[in-house]
Amino acid sequence: MIEAKGLTKIYGDKTAVDAVSFTVEAGRVTGFLGPNGAGKSTTMRMIMGLDRPTSGSVTVNGVPFAKHVAPLREIGSLLDAKAVHTGRTAYNHLLAMAATHSIPKKRVNEVIEMTGLSEVARKKVKGFSLGMGQRLGIAAALLGDPQTVILDEPVNGLDPEGVVWVRNLAKYLAAEGRTVFLSSHLMSEMAVTADHLIVIGRGRIIADAPIQEIINGKGQSRARVRTDQPEHLMNILAGDGVAIQVQEPELLEVTGLDPRRIARIALENRVMIYELTPLQASLEEAYMELTKDEVEYHSLITAGAPTPVQAGGN
Amino acid sequence: MTTSNVNTSSLNPSTPAPSRRGTAAGVGPGPSFLRVLNSEFIKFRTLTSTLILLACTLLVMVGFGALTGWGTGTFAEQALSDPEAAAAIAAQGGDLAITVPTSGIAFAQLILGSLGVLLMSSEFTTGMARSTFAAVPKRLPAFVAKLIVVVVASFVLTAVSSFLAGLVALPILDSYDLKLDLASSQSVKLLLVSSVYVAAVAAIGLALGSIIRNSAGGIMSLVGLFFVAPIALQIIQGDVAKEIRKYLPGNTVEPMTAVKHLPDTLEVWQAALVLGAWVVVPVILAMVLLKKRDV
Repeated sequence: MIEAKGLTKIYGDKTAVDAVSFTVEAGRVTGFLGPNGAGKSTTMRMIMGLDRPTSGSVTVNGVPFAKHVAPLREIGSLLDAKAVHTGRTAYNHLLAMAATHSIPKKRVNEVIEMTGLSEVARKKVKGFSLGMGQRLGIAAALLGDPQTVILDEPVNGLDPEGVVWVRNLAKYLAAEGRTVFLSSHLMSEMAVTADHLIVIGRGRIIADAPIQEIINGKGQSRARVRTDQPEHLMNILAGDGVAIQVQEPELLEVTGLDPRRIARIALENRVMIYELTPLQASLEEAYMELTKDEVEYHSLITAGAPTPVQAGGN
Repeated sequence: MTTSNVNTSSLNPSTPAPSRRGTAAGVGPGPSFLRVLNSEFIKFRTLTSTLILLACTLLVMVGFGALTGWGTGTFAEQALSDPEAAAAIAAQGGDLAITVPTSGIAFAQLILGSLGVLLMSSEFTTGMARSTFAAVPKRLPAFVAKLIVVVVASFVLTAVSSFLAGLVALPILDSYDLKLDLASSQSVKLLLVSSVYVAAVAAIGLALGSIIRNSAGGIMSLVGLFFVAPIALQIIQGDVAKEIRKYLPGNTVEPMTAVKHLPDTLEVWQAALVLGAWVVVPVILAMVLLKKRDV
């Protein structure tokens, strides 16, 4: 479990991470989503003790990273595919890292095999593609068989097969009860990998909720309704919290009523509807909505979802 | 390199990564100092660039031994009429050949000092530091381990290559009727002091690399300290410049190896202290900054 409390990082006059608090629970994949420069990597570096927080604190399993007796066995991290001296071979890189914790050569070979690096392990990292570098970074992260795995943009540069592999690996590790925290700026990737999502924008947590809730957005259902009596239908559907948009002469988009309710009202009032389609926002839309305006966003999330919502900048 | 030539059998989603201990993580040995030292030694010997620099040092030292052996021979024939040469000879008690084995240390110090810079600066320029300090979050053990590796390697390499240089120079000197006893106490003293000195320069390099975090910048400051500063202070006239020159790290070897005290140099104990300070101050500064700064 990773716990951040009021974590802040200020570089000069730029606040990269602004008093964020969140908890990454064990046993599920937690996605860390945000546009480039939102503060994802800085937050992850602070978790790993590489950057010192300006204020606030972050612990892993209750202890600051640097205080762990065997850090590599506690947390594995891929912070940057290029956290390697490119003049060294992949095998020797892993061997040197393993030596700090007396991790046997057998395990080094195991993670090389696991990440599909067997054929290039004896070659210098200099010649590696971005995808190869990512695999080596993941191999290094798994070296200590850690309880907590932090992966910063793990699918960057991977081929489709590699993307699927990382996705399954993340889910598998979480199913084993491990804490899995992975960042991405690719919303579509998060939608299929993460169980829980922490969205960050301009250094603040915008949302912290199960992925389904974020996709549902306001928690209000939307439906597309086609009818030959649009005006009459609009009148009978109108009410508190219901918004209706006329998109085409006979096409309405109704927000705030679930399809069953719309159908019932229409039936009771003898209005014929010839299409009733529940609409679900894609994560992408939800994300755009979330990040387009941080202020609007606060009310947006808290209004609908009675779930833990972290408003940034407390 | 494309991914197509890589074994992808392990990527089958139905066979995810095997785990050794399930979720019982955090169990097992952590980064004790000996393990970190072992890790840094692996890192030291697995870089081709490091091995090339070590080989260059050996080559330069032995090459200069041979060259100086020959030069000394021809020089001895005309030395009687040259006052400057006579003074240099006097510093070694009239023994011309004694400094031949260590004649390459001016270059050895440059190569091994640069190696010291690179060992630390490359951590930061390549991003390796993130891996290193994720494994050793206390940071200082990794730095001290690197320091030990580079100091020991520089000392041993300088000592061995000086001895080899002496062996190569022996027959050359012999042809000029000059005698060199590699087992004499003055020979051993020269070899040991020179090796300690080169090791000290490597340590200064490591500290500079850690402070500056940039390979070119680190090497340039090293060159500035050991090559530019002495020449600049020689050009500047006056007692102040003359006094400062005595305290440059590069001017501490001569007083420590001279048979008798030379004018305008430090006493042996002073020279040792000055060289020690040139190592300790940057090393401590590097350690403080390494602990404090973000990686």
